[in-house]
Amino acid sequence: MEKSELQFAAASESHYGRCNPNSILGGTFSILALGFLFYVIPAFIEIPAYMQHPLLSPRFLPQLAGWLVLALSLLLMIDGLIKPPKRSETDEFRRGVPIMRQVLMVAAGIVYVLFFEELGAIGSGVLASVLLFLASGLRTIWVYALAIIFPAVVTLLFIYVLNVPLPPGTLWESLSLI
Amino acid sequence: MENFSEVLALFLSVDNFLAIAAGVLVGVVVGAIPGLTATMAVALALPFTFSMEPVTAILLLVGIYKGGMYGGSITAILIRTPGSPASACTLLDGYPMAQQGKAKKALKTALYSSVVADMISNVALIFFASYLAKIALNFGPPEYFWLICFSLTIIVSVSGSSVVKGLIAAGLGIIVSTIGLDAVYGTQRLTFDNYNLMDRVSFIPLLIGLFAIPEVIEFYTSKVAPHIRTAVSGASLTWKEFKGLLKTIVRGSVIGVIIGAIPGTGATSAAFISYSEAKRTSPRKANFGKGEVEGVAAAESGNNGVAGATLIPLLSLGIPGDVITAIILGAFMIHGLTPGPVLFQENLTLVYALFCGIMVSSFVLVFVGNAAIRYFSLIADIPKTILLPIVLMFCIYGAYAVNNSTFDIGLMLAFGVLGFVFNRTGIAAAPFLIGFILGPMFEDNLRRTMLISKGDLSIFFRGPITWVFILLTVASLIFAIRRYWVARKEDALA
Repeated sequence: MEKSELQFAAASESHYGRCNPNSILGGTFSILALGFLFYVIPAFIEIPAYMQHPLLSPRFLPQLAGWLVLALSLLLMIDGLIKPPKRSETDEFRRGVPIMRQVLMVAAGIVYVLFFEELGAIGSGVLASVLLFLASGLRTIWVYALAIIFPAVVTLLFIYVLNVPLPPGTLWESLSLI
Repeated sequence: MENFSEVLALFLSVDNFLAIAAGVLVGVVVGAIPGLTATMAVALALPFTFSMEPVTAILLLVGIYKGGMYGGSITAILIRTPGSPASACTLLDGYPMAQQGKAKKALKTALYSSVVADMISNVALIFFASYLAKIALNFGPPEYFWLICFSLTIIVSVSGSSVVKGLIAAGLGIIVSTIGLDAVYGTQRLTFDNYNLMDRVSFIPLLIGLFAIPEVIEFYTSKVAPHIRTAVSGASLTWKEFKGLLKTIVRGSVIGVIIGAIPGTGATSAAFISYSEAKRTSPRKANFGKGEVEGVAAAESGNNGVAGATLIPLLSLGIPGDVITAIILGAFMIHGLTPGPVLFQENLTLVYALFCGIMVSSFVLVFVGNAAIRYFSLIADIPKTILLPIVLMFCIYGAYAVNNSTFDIGLMLAFGVLGFVFNRTGIAAAPFLIGFILGPMFEDNLRRTMLISKGDLSIFFRGPITWVFILLTVASLIFAIRRYWVARKEDALA
């Protein structure tokens, strides 16, 4: 192989191409900023009829920030196209992660968001912790006992020591009525 | 004298001492666990403070902050993983010392340097904060407007590797801060007719989402890194050696105090400046970077000298000096207090009770730090597979506790995803938080100024104080741009 080809191969391994995170990020933020400036602000921020000065407008700061984001996003995109960033070593750690691990993590998040009041703090905590332990591939049984002990202890700590109320679970309440 | 007895009455409570001890302990433990940060610990502890007295709550958070600053150096020395960016300088000599079997000496040097620097920093806080607050009493809305502009320039220094990305994050933070009812006209802004958003975006879900959830997501979307163990071994630091290091420690502390008092400059730069200054003046300069104990002392004293000093702009002007003080600012607000000159007028007893607690926290750090050195392996060997589900649980419970609303859980997870995207794309989350906090202050003072002057813009240049802040803002921007170009050039050369 020619020396220049070797150099090119080495460079392409350490740098991203034109389609790199910076240009994609800059492009995405530019589109979002345009949408924000020309659709979201006019549609979702009212201007009062009796406004005294443009600087007092409720739209002033969002517009200022929106234009700032737009200008910088374009700059980032152009910078990414001209000078692609280097690949980082951490990228290697992010390849080949089992999909089930990620699915179980999302499932744990869904349990907390959708069933927190229904299952209660302890119930949802136990279920989500079990899902996350499964995501990590833990096989020791005693570890799963921790998935029950920790949510119970932390919930009781919040309720009785810190006086912060947490939901007991509407599902259990309705079951107890039956 | 009457005030003094009131201060003591407010400070001398079991709760305060427990809060300080618990805070320092949690800070050191979290700081000593690779991958967890003091910022994350302070964010997670915030919901715990709801039912506490304001002094107790703030002392808990300050304790975590100080403990975390030291805890970060333990991992830097033992496993070459700085717990915080500021500890990166400590590993230059700390890790080689550990490899040479002098881990215990390095850790003790780091601890005692941290404690001395922390005390010096606290004294500076006590002397300068009230003085600065007196000056700030002369500030009106135009002066505050320019002060906020100057403070916004700190975004550049907390932007990490890319200033452009940091500024984008700050812009996004400002946009999020405008969600809710408009303070002047009462009209809805970006609420999308959702009543949960009418009272602004809640601070705690945003905070926990940005600083704790990304760590959890990152863990489950990456391969598990191999666990490195290093034993704490070797001889300890002798009194004679410590005396020999005192000059370096005091110099590093003073550097830390000066840098910490300037918003945005941060502990990392203080550590490196202190380190380079020690290297320049040391007779053993050739040994720096190869396991020189003076290097550890210089880095840690510079790093910890910042801790008390960053509270100077926070308490006297209401301006956060870094991310953690931004969180502490939020804690003040949650407890119905507004840091700034008015705090010194209306809650002087509380301020001095805080000062007492902050001083005590330095002594507590000695005991907790020594215990952490002894039991480090117990702390660092907690597997993340068990730790992170518990961290997530704390996040969820903390977010829910704010308004007893599952909407806040969703909001927190949404900010968590945003924080994760930021992590993956090299965007620092700190500018987002600074934008979120300073955005409303900027708008509020701009509007108050315009209402006072009835639209006359000359009010923004009305006196010497405004000009001082204008010049500081311009100088800070020029300095930031210069630093950005130098970094770019160095990057291109590398």
